[in-house]
Amino acid sequence: MRRIFLITLIAGCVAVQLPGQLLQLRITGLDGLAAKAKESVDITLDSNLLGIAFQFLKSNSKDKDAKDVQAVLSGLKAITVRSFEFNEAGQYRMEDLEPIRAQLRTPGWSKIVSSQKKDEISEIYTRTEQGKVVGFAIISAEPKELAVVAIEGSINLSDLSKLGGLGVPAIAIPDQGKKGK
Amino acid sequence: MNLDDELRAALRREDPSPGFAQRVVARAKSKPASPSWFSGSWFPSSWFPRMMWATALAAMLVIGFAAVSEYREKKAERAGREAVLALRITAEKLNSARDKVLRREN
Repeated sequence: MRRIFLITLIAGCVAVQLPGQLLQLRITGLDGLAAKAKESVDITLDSNLLGIAFQFLKSNSKDKDAKDVQAVLSGLKAITVRSFEFNEAGQYRMEDLEPIRAQLRTPGWSKIVSSQKKDEISEIYTRTEQGKVVGFAIISAEPKELAVVAIEGSINLSDLSKLGGLGVPAIAIPDQGKKGK
Repeated sequence: MNLDDELRAALRREDPSPGFAQRVVARAKSKPASPSWFSGSWFPSSWFPRMMWATALAAMLVIGFAAVSEYREKKAERAGREAVLALRITAEKLNSARDKVLRREN
């Protein structure tokens, strides 16, 4: 009886942990920046919340833009965004990004776009499993702005580029197979 | 007999028969009162506390259901807004990265 109770307890703990583990890329090391930032965005949506968001947009918006958003959302399992805008430069260090970049150097992740200047970094990564893109990450660091995006699930970047009507600029996405310079 | 005499005879004052007042009072007492919620005649008076509790419970359930519905609606609205904002930021950063690469190539 005691053993059954323990097994049930452990199974319950594992079940509770599972949603968090879906976010394979953990955005760490940026916790103190929100206090220094002029504006900050901290969004974490797991599959449950994405499902709720999908249903909300489906029932409340019938126009084409909303359908484009739904098309992008439908393939996602999790999305995490940390974005900071500062009044002045020097509020964060490039070393703060190292825990995230270290995860992105692990097998499975590929850097597809990279642009680096002395105080600016723009990097785009994709994560593949069995030949399919299952994850996507962006690091964008400028003197007064810092943003990290992590997306789990299948995402069609050309669908994302169609979201201009909701304030999302229409963008031409570089070929996913092209390696950055 | 003319009309005036007939009317006078019909409308003349007559005293009631003996015991008329007692009979009226006795009749009034014997007639059952009309049903009334407040009089407690619909339900035994012992039911009233239970009825009150049941009403309070029903009211609490309705309020609770409304509160949960409101919470779920707010949660869905917030999730929807956050999802759109997250995709907007993602698209902006993608665009920015693309522009930087293109500038370097040129």
